[in-house]
Amino acid sequence: MLSRQSIKSSMRILLIALLLSVLAITASAAAPTREVILATTTSTADTGLLDALIPIFEKKTGYMVKTIAVGTGQALALGSRGEADVLLTHAPSSELPLVSSGDVIERRLVMHNDFIIAGPAGDPAKVRGLKLAADALSRIESSQSVFVSRGDDSGTHKKEKEIWGKLGVKPSGKWYVEAGAGMAHTLNIASEKEGYTLTDRGTYLALKKNLALDVLVEGDAILLNIYHVMQVNPAKFSKVNGPGGLAFVEFMVSPEVQKIISTFGVDKYGDPLFFPDAGKNVDDLGK
Amino acid sequence: MISLKDVQLRRAGRLVLDIADLSVGRGESVAVIGPNGAGKSTLLQVMACLLPPDSGSLAVLGERIERGADLIGIRRRTAMVLQRACLLNTSVYENVALGLRIRRTPDAAIRDRVINALSMFRVDHLARRPARALSGGESQRVSLARAFALEPDILFLDEPFNALDLATRTALLSEVGEAVRSFGATTIFVTHDVTEIPFLSDRTIVMDGGRIVADGSIRRVLADDTRSALSELLRSASWLCGKDGDDDSEDGTSFPLADSKG
Amino acid sequence: MDLIAEGIAQAFWLLVKGDRGVFQIALLTLKVSGLATLISLAIGVPLGTALALGRFRGRDAVASIVNTGMGLPPVVVGLWVSIVLWRYGPLGSLRLMYTPTAMVIAQTLIALPIVAGLTMSGIGQLDPGIRVQILSLGATRWQLIWLLVREARLAILAAVMAGFGRVIAEVGASMMVGGNVVGQTRVLTTATSMEVGRGNFGTAIALSLILMGLTLAITSWLTHLQQKGRPTAQ
Repeated sequence: MLSRQSIKSSMRILLIALLLSVLAITASAAAPTREVILATTTSTADTGLLDALIPIFEKKTGYMVKTIAVGTGQALALGSRGEADVLLTHAPSSELPLVSSGDVIERRLVMHNDFIIAGPAGDPAKVRGLKLAADALSRIESSQSVFVSRGDDSGTHKKEKEIWGKLGVKPSGKWYVEAGAGMAHTLNIASEKEGYTLTDRGTYLALKKNLALDVLVEGDAILLNIYHVMQVNPAKFSKVNGPGGLAFVEFMVSPEVQKIISTFGVDKYGDPLFFPDAGKNVDDLGK
Repeated sequence: MISLKDVQLRRAGRLVLDIADLSVGRGESVAVIGPNGAGKSTLLQVMACLLPPDSGSLAVLGERIERGADLIGIRRRTAMVLQRACLLNTSVYENVALGLRIRRTPDAAIRDRVINALSMFRVDHLARRPARALSGGESQRVSLARAFALEPDILFLDEPFNALDLATRTALLSEVGEAVRSFGATTIFVTHDVTEIPFLSDRTIVMDGGRIVADGSIRRVLADDTRSALSELLRSASWLCGKDGDDDSEDGTSFPLADSKG
Repeated sequence: MDLIAEGIAQAFWLLVKGDRGVFQIALLTLKVSGLATLISLAIGVPLGTALALGRFRGRDAVASIVNTGMGLPPVVVGLWVSIVLWRYGPLGSLRLMYTPTAMVIAQTLIALPIVAGLTMSGIGQLDPGIRVQILSLGATRWQLIWLLVREARLAILAAVMAGFGRVIAEVGASMMVGGNVVGQTRVLTTATSMEVGRGNFGTAIALSLILMGLTLAITSWLTHLQQKGRPTAQ
């Protein structure tokens, strides 16, 4: 057991085990030009739309897509650093600076869904049926009814802040709960606490049966959740996969894909989760 | 077999070993005695090539011990038994076989030597036992078996009987003495108990403060005026000589195994 | 309670059905964490031993670093590894971001200090007399290390189990450097986290049961190995 032989052979076995494992791990790496890194948001990924579309894209173009689903802030930051090839996000006000700085090009409108204000059936703040989201939040604030916020700088959270901004209000106090979490989690908290929250319709529909929340306010133009796809600028970031990113942009606005988007979710929820908008003018939406 | 000249060793600036001239010949059995902190164990470790001296020259088994010397080779011709057995977490057999395995002795030869060594110290019945489950006396027997299984050219013993109870100590002293005599190995035996010496050694070295202060047969050593170094040790053995604890005589003893002075 | 029942039922269903997606996720979990633990073992045990036995300059500093490393939050490790592996980072040309290899790197950095630190303390706790005794028997440096490692095997196996347990359970680093890409870098922890975020609690519980089952199986095997080395009285 102590001979140099047996010590050496144990080391040899360890080395072989290591090499085999390393091979097993690194076996399947694709060529750089065939890979496309798509940075999007967790809520977009959670709708399942990409699970339906990506395989079609891969089959059609031969590219292999790495979908990185993170917070809006992180997705846009990855774009600004050239660490992703194409972005699919829904925070227009945050996206525009990337356009002006030249970080992204070919920014195209893809689709929209909307946000709703959900709350308890009892509706203590009396917001049901209001036409303007700002009015609803104003009543919630003055009545100090529980409101659960995403609190995580996501697209939803930014939208919520946008509305508070219009009222010139910075919400705070015991009634204002910052979840710092994803949409599903936030909805659960709102349901448990019988409070109000701002949510995208898709997640709400997906979880409706487990929640004690009703749709109370919808339809306001400000509640539109608008999705753009944009290519990270290959002229600015040489390591970016330019052709791959562009292919994905064109894919998302193509008529076939727009059609798929228009019917996505109907079989599961009765209503489509998204409304395709490629080619339209952003300001015309919601009218 | 072993020779030291002007060997010095310092620890934290203090001189802990200062040997001007020491030689041990083949087949000699030497006891090293002295109060605590005299440098006995340090001397042993230097002789066993486990601790390099700061200066001076050292030769063991005909080889000069200096940078580039084959320390492993020398160590494999010697064996050491410590105060505590320090056995490994495996069977008694494997513990005794350890030194032989380190030397890559073939298994058949190991078997014979281990069995002989085990029976020499009467622990053959413990061969398959886990070494950690042994009593203090049994462990030390195994440690001795481990050393003797190697048939070393030099045997180093560092207070091996110190931690044992009186009965075990007495039994082992004669058994080890027997073994040393029949093997004829050169033996260096460190102890702080004067009464152990006669069982194992003819020659006694007295150390104090890192130096050798006496060197010769037991009688001569006791007769010299090194009483100051030995007196403490002798006082502890005074009960052997029929005196009671509160000693009123100055020089303390008439050592039972030594004749009158001279 | 019915959530748990639903989770168990779903776990069962997934396993019986031989759901390929789940199987792939579970397999990747084992590959990544297994390899990370193996590498940590190969580097960590010698490192821990050297720290325990060595008397070189800077030893104390390295020991402190190792001990601090034991408490590194995975998400912090993930962040730092990302910074290095990003396209425009120093090692960007290796193109390791969002690959299982990146996950192995991050997990190794998490497990390595644990294995090294616990090995260091395991060997350090050995009776110092044993080292003298082994050297006096004429052992070479490698023989000495081998014997001491064998002697401390209980502590070292505990170190390996601790390292493995830590990395197979972590989400932060795997998420950051792996990206939870379906079919490529999705492992049980990141998948569970995702399902929780989507509100699919039943699926999440099912995945977590599979994860715990795997961890239990492997740790049981390691524990068996460890206990085999225990001294028994007769």
